[in-house]
Amino acid sequence: MEKNKSGKIKTSVWDKVFVVCNTLFMVAFVIITLYPVLNTLAISLNDGTDALRGGIYLWPRKWTFKNYITVLQKDNLITGAYITVARTIIGTLLALVANAILAFIVSRKNFIFKRSLSLFWVVTMYVNGGMIPTFLLYKNLHLTNSFWVYVVPGMVSAFNMLVIRTYMAGIPDSLEESAQLDGAGYTTIFVKIISPLCKPVYATVALFVAVGQWNSWFDAMLYNRMSSHLTTLQYELMKLLSSVTNQGTSAEAMKNAAGTVTPTSVRAAATVLTMLPIICLYPFLQRYFVTGLTIGGVKE
Amino acid sequence: MKKKTVTGIVLSVAALSVFLSVKTAGSRDTKIKEFTAFFDVSENEIDEYNEIMELIAQKTGARCREQWLVGKSSEEAIDGYIASGEYTDFISGDVALYEAGALIPIDLYWDDYPNIKNFMPAERWDRFRQPDGHIYWIPQFDVVSGKSKELLHEGEAFWIQTRVLKWAGYPRIRTVDEYFDLLEAYVAENPVMEDPFHEGQTLENIPFTILCDDWRYFCLENPPQFLDGYPNDGSCIVDAGTQTVKDYNITPTARRYFKKLNEEYHKGIVDREFYTQNYQEYLQKLSSGRVLGMVDQWWQFAYVVNGSLEIMSDQGCGYVPLPITIDQSVRNQWHVKRGAELSAADGISITVSCEDIEGAMKFINDLLDEEIIKLRYWGIEGTDYEVYENGVYYRTDEQRNAVRNPEYSRAHFCVYPYFPRIEGMLSDGLNAFAPEYQPGEFFDALVPDVKECLTAYGCRNYVEMLGTNEAPGPWYPMYSYSDMLTTDSEAGRVWEQMNSVKREFLPKVVMTDDFDAMWAQYMERYTACRPEIFFAEMQQELERRLQP
Amino acid sequence: MASQEKKKNITWKEIKKQKVLIIWSLVLVIYGVIFYYLPLAGWAMAFQDYKPKNGLFHSAFVGMDKFKQLFSDASFIRVIRNTLGMGVINLIVTFVMAILFAILLNEVKSNGGKKTVQTISYLPHFLSWIIVTGILHDALSSTGIINELLLKFHILDQPLNFFAHPKFFWPIVAFANVWKETGWNAIIYLSAITAIDPSLYEAANMDGAGRWARIRYVTLPGIKPTIMILLLMNVGNVLNAGFEIQYLLGNGLVQSVSQTIDIYVLKWGISQNDFSIGTAAGIFKSFVSIVLIVIANQIAKKNGEERLF
Repeated sequence: MEKNKSGKIKTSVWDKVFVVCNTLFMVAFVIITLYPVLNTLAISLNDGTDALRGGIYLWPRKWTFKNYITVLQKDNLITGAYITVARTIIGTLLALVANAILAFIVSRKNFIFKRSLSLFWVVTMYVNGGMIPTFLLYKNLHLTNSFWVYVVPGMVSAFNMLVIRTYMAGIPDSLEESAQLDGAGYTTIFVKIISPLCKPVYATVALFVAVGQWNSWFDAMLYNRMSSHLTTLQYELMKLLSSVTNQGTSAEAMKNAAGTVTPTSVRAAATVLTMLPIICLYPFLQRYFVTGLTIGGVKE
Repeated sequence: MKKKTVTGIVLSVAALSVFLSVKTAGSRDTKIKEFTAFFDVSENEIDEYNEIMELIAQKTGARCREQWLVGKSSEEAIDGYIASGEYTDFISGDVALYEAGALIPIDLYWDDYPNIKNFMPAERWDRFRQPDGHIYWIPQFDVVSGKSKELLHEGEAFWIQTRVLKWAGYPRIRTVDEYFDLLEAYVAENPVMEDPFHEGQTLENIPFTILCDDWRYFCLENPPQFLDGYPNDGSCIVDAGTQTVKDYNITPTARRYFKKLNEEYHKGIVDREFYTQNYQEYLQKLSSGRVLGMVDQWWQFAYVVNGSLEIMSDQGCGYVPLPITIDQSVRNQWHVKRGAELSAADGISITVSCEDIEGAMKFINDLLDEEIIKLRYWGIEGTDYEVYENGVYYRTDEQRNAVRNPEYSRAHFCVYPYFPRIEGMLSDGLNAFAPEYQPGEFFDALVPDVKECLTAYGCRNYVEMLGTNEAPGPWYPMYSYSDMLTTDSEAGRVWEQMNSVKREFLPKVVMTDDFDAMWAQYMERYTACRPEIFFAEMQQELERRLQP
Repeated sequence: MASQEKKKNITWKEIKKQKVLIIWSLVLVIYGVIFYYLPLAGWAMAFQDYKPKNGLFHSAFVGMDKFKQLFSDASFIRVIRNTLGMGVINLIVTFVMAILFAILLNEVKSNGGKKTVQTISYLPHFLSWIIVTGILHDALSSTGIINELLLKFHILDQPLNFFAHPKFFWPIVAFANVWKETGWNAIIYLSAITAIDPSLYEAANMDGAGRWARIRYVTLPGIKPTIMILLLMNVGNVLNAGFEIQYLLGNGLVQSVSQTIDIYVLKWGISQNDFSIGTAAGIFKSFVSIVLIVIANQIAKKNGEERLF
């Protein structure tokens, strides 16, 4: 903007000020964000009853792994972990394929039902029939007490579809046209040409879906409560959180530093445990984001 | 491409293992019947292979997997059941489930199961009959056989730490004024306590707090009924003489009590955060030993905080209840005999989804067997308790500690806490059905400072501190009716609004600088809800309950 | 206009050519009808006095009674106000913060620093509301760190009980949302920024544009489509202001500003076994959402901006 010399010097002074302020902002942001997480970590490593007295900030006062042991000793936790991993993998894959196909269809410029199909899905973001009809539907489809209730409903989501659609819209039409000249059908174009280019956006959607799958527990409670072999990790953890009531810990136990647990401390341990896998997964997916991800609408 | 192959393999292995795990989990010992149960409360889950559960299964040929409420969205879970018509074999039954046609009539099956049929006298059972004349649920608690020993006060009271009483030389405290005077005097001289975990450091005492988190706010709103010498009817008071229902929210006592709280709040005696603290924070405060007194129901705090307070026993941080009323002349009814509070509003039911109703009936029948009750509550003789030569049961210190170890409890004890039990004494006439109700065992298990304090007052348990009362009448407790009101009825909607106004104004009344103006405003908003509609409904119910 | 264009295009030849696309869309539409539209039959409950025993087909029809009951209840009007108020504030604040954060983070030169900050920024997304509200409650209590700081800097001379004052409630909720979701929401903007053609920045630099000018004329226009479309989508969500956080942080003193439609539905509907009221409120919410989204979409269309459909 300012093209004269003095302007440039001024800019660079301002630039330095900006860099300093920005760095300070980032540091403050990191502190505000990180503190509660570290606090949760500290509480998860601290004796439960001792933590009740407060005053734990970043470092445990009375170290113990008891909270983690309590969480990990839970019955069905292994089954739950198993199912959760399975639903995360299968659910993410199914959702990715379904959303990609849908996005591919609605991003074809000359597809005749383009607009109505988009509208059809956008509406689903804002209406729902409520719990009871949904329950009855799943029951009649024999989805209750089955693994498929985790991955089949909610497979297509308008939001994810829009994310992929936007990305696909950014791919030059010439690629599709030249492939068509070579006699390629839509299936080939989708599989061989568009999808390889869509890796970054697929990675993002995969992350969104995977996080959702990993964290959900309500469906396990609602639809599969009768089948303990279909329980999920998060449901087991939720059960733990709502059931632990520090069952009259004895003074003897506390003096021996054998460790005691409370709902707060167990909750903290469970939180840390559930955060871990996703945190580990993220940097792995993050490199795809660099290549670009956007969400956009239609603009004619 | 390689990557894809690897992903493919991983996926198929994962998928395969899911189905394999499904298969293997299904097979189990087939000789023992397995039932399922759901209870709409949060409780501790026990281990899947629990020793006493297996022992009971061997003796009775059945076990039951209990499911408890999970998370905040609990109501939705129950609605999910109702919506789907698919239930566990047992459930905590109530009117909603009865109306949904979910329950089977127990009285059609009970002829072969004397423990159920004779669980209560016929006229008591009649209170459980629904409009179609059948009985759909069995009460789990408060059915007493023989003479019951009243030891534990599980209900509401003004509690105080033993150190305050000891400091004052164990005075007789009878009124709200005396109670707060004592707290004021104590805290003036002892503003701090020793930090039990950091030598040489001190913690500030909190003289008085009240738990008000969400539905737990009843400890703020209901003391006026007790202070006037009425028992816990919950939503109203019943004048036994005239047999009329009265509103305790607008009595002179209510005004006097809240004015007192207001004064104490401004003196710094009432915790400044009493109204915004949540349950967790409240328990934290109590566990720290800093809270000198509070008004609360025992079960809300004792299970969680007693462990911590035990360590501070040498400082005298344990709690004892005091028989407080508004005036010396009023006789308190904080404690009413357990059997009296029998509520016909809910109990355990067998659902229409149960495929083996006879088996389910037999299971309940067996659980009421004395031998099984002993297993459920006392445990295994020689392991969990010992027997004196005279036949009286007791626990050694080691056994008491084992019971308090959560891991051991989960793996070993199986109380089936929401299945019916017979309270009171076992048939030997010597022992109570559970250790907490065994006089000797109860006292021996108390922490030293509470023992010392009770002894100083010539008492051996909480109930002796308060005195005990018979049930005031066949209507008791009235809350079992107001709890069942729904927004379908006008009374239910009024009741909801009354609570909403109270929730907003009671803390304002306590914290305000101008008590009279705020109280007037509160009363104005309160009467605008037209509480008379609610109390007319309660009066009708009272009359229904008074009919023979 | 668009429809005319479409009509012109529908020829047998075109349909034949697009056979695969049509078959796949049909499969997906069938899926959508089953899982999203079929349960809408449950909306009938709002016009009935629904009793589970009788089911959807045998419950008494009551017409608009449930809606009348809803709108004649002063507290329902109040919860609509609260929901809208918190929804709008949350929408604006979380939006601005996520965009601001993404842009500022993009200006951080050190690559390692950038990655570290971003990785940390989305951690709170994984904390459940129970934990977040627990931490907030601690921090804002009269002995909490916020009061400690305010006292130390003599901004206050007595600890302030934040949760006792209705005026603080909405800001606290907004702050909690910002804290929890800024990093996560920024992911999508950061990706959009990285997708901007680097040559645009080079050209700006050649023109001697300063940092501010680059942000103003390259970065912001580059992510504008993303901003617009997310804004559009979220406009429809303002009535989903939340349940858990208000439920966990609220108390009687602030209940006049803390209760949302979802809490209302739970309190009056579900816990009282009145499914009809809850359904009626749900229909109202869906209706408002769709009206809002259609209006927003039309405005966007008129201004030649990105739109949803």
